Amino acid sequence: MSVLGLLGDPMITDLSRRLARPGEAGFLLGSDQLGRDTLARVLAGLRWSLAVAAGATIIAAVVGVTLGLLAADRPGWIRLSINQLVDMVLSFPGLVIAIVVVAAIGHGFWALVLTLGLLSWPVFARVVYAEARSLLTRDYMLAARLAGSSRFRILAGHLLPGLAPSLSVMVAFHFADMMIAESALSFLGVGAPLGTPSLGNMLAESRQFLFIAPELMLVPATAIVLAVIAANLVGDGLASQESRLEEEK
Amino acid sequence: MSTPEHARHPLMRSVLLGVLQRVFSLLLLLFVLTTLLFFLLRMTGDQALALAGPDATTEQITAIRAQFGLDRPLGVQYLSYIGELLRLDFGTSIISGQGAMREATSRLWATVALAITAMAVTVALAIPLGAWMGAMPNTGARRSLAGCIFLLQGMPGFVVALLLVQLFAVQLKWLPFMGYGSFSTWILPTLTLASFLLPKLTRVVASNVDAALREDYIRTARANGASFTELYWRHALPNALLGATALLGTQFAFLLSGSVITETIFGWPGIGSLLIRSIQSADFAVVQAVTLLIAIMVFLINTTTDASFQLLDPRLRRGAG
Repeated sequence: MSVLGLLGDPMITDLSRRLARPGEAGFLLGSDQLGRDTLARVLAGLRWSLAVAAGATIIAAVVGVTLGLLAADRPGWIRLSINQLVDMVLSFPGLVIAIVVVAAIGHGFWALVLTLGLLSWPVFARVVYAEARSLLTRDYMLAARLAGSSRFRILAGHLLPGLAPSLSVMVAFHFADMMIAESALSFLGVGAPLGTPSLGNMLAESRQFLFIAPELMLVPATAIVLAVIAANLVGDGLASQESRLEEEK
Repeated sequence: MSTPEHARHPLMRSVLLGVLQRVFSLLLLLFVLTTLLFFLLRMTGDQALALAGPDATTEQITAIRAQFGLDRPLGVQYLSYIGELLRLDFGTSIISGQGAMREATSRLWATVALAITAMAVTVALAIPLGAWMGAMPNTGARRSLAGCIFLLQGMPGFVVALLLVQLFAVQLKWLPFMGYGSFSTWILPTLTLASFLLPKLTRVVASNVDAALREDYIRTARANGASFTELYWRHALPNALLGATALLGTQFAFLLSGSVITETIFGWPGIGSLLIRSIQSADFAVVQAVTLLIAIMVFLINTTTDASFQLLDPRLRRGAG
């Protein structure tokens, strides 16, 4: 990040150079109400968004894949309770509960990562469960079981690789969703701590300068849209690659 | 006494069974949610300190603890809290002094009205767009429309709102940038909320129409000389729309997340902006009332959609075939 550091410090305030237009007073993308460099803040904000989204996606994927595989492998009360939990979480507006949870356990990086990850794993669990059920009926699964492979070996060694293509697509789209969720929470004031350079915080602060400095909104808005679109493009690319491979089979 | 007529009818029975199962999951959800809220909201800090104010003496704080029962063990507090909820006592707002649930329900209409308007706009735009896109050959026009949809999908709802405000309220000065009342105040919030579902619904309609037109029976019919227009309007489109309507029901919960954002930005007096305001002012009784109200609303919508789909689509009926 030292290269980005050369562009300026996102926290340095300079009231003599406040609300500079892009290109003025030595700021490539202007400065905010405290004279802080917008470009530096957007880059720091992107780093924050990417880190929160990555952490939340990893947690959601690990928990969701584990519970999805467990539900597929163990019929009976384990499957029933996991599926009931998945339905329950998915039927409830995630943002509402995330707002309440983050407000209660406090703002900050880990609070956001844990809340977003632990509220969004059912998305993975549902798909993994459905695909694992159909994969488990394949002949090579039966062969593995007859060869005496342990349950864990079957799930981790034979089933998981079969799920990899659709998992990679889901990870990309989930990453985009997590970035949107993080910025929405920060925008509503229940995400990144106040003053942290995050895209959501910057957009919330920009609303006071709606009339005099629209670029304070346009710059972070462009950054978040580009980041989300980039993640969606990766997901789309992976999905079309997967369907091409399916057709070739 | 013989079984009532409706219970013997297999279709009604399957619908009733589905509703019963959903009522069970609602009760489970409400139980989990209230328990979660109880422990979460007690993690946010000492309520007695908040109620007493910064200048209170130790004796005053102790008195307040005793008055509100905060000195009892946590388990006892939890049981009495559940007891209050069962008697439909949701506590009072520390801001307005009104009953928390009454405060929440008084704002319900603004939220529901905006959600319905946005849903109507979404459907009115997404179905023609998707139906047109799905039937079109892969030309420049289709690809550029798909590109616009993709761009919109990459925009968080609050970014859409901020851009709309900047363009129509600040630059062009055509519409108010916030408020609730006359027709013009409805336009930007409706468009914002509609943008949450529009890209998804358009894509689903388009891909459903596209898939329906590739079905073997359509190809056979076309080879036999049936006209494309007839096949499109009478077979491909209705099939595609049934799938798309199912999406709308399941996305209602997502739309409510959008309401929180939209209402906060436009100062809309609904339950979404109430939730944010209550969290900022630590008005826990209202936070809880709003959350429970949302859970019940989502339940009602999901149950109605499920039941009506079982009635509409014979393939979904329990025990059919």
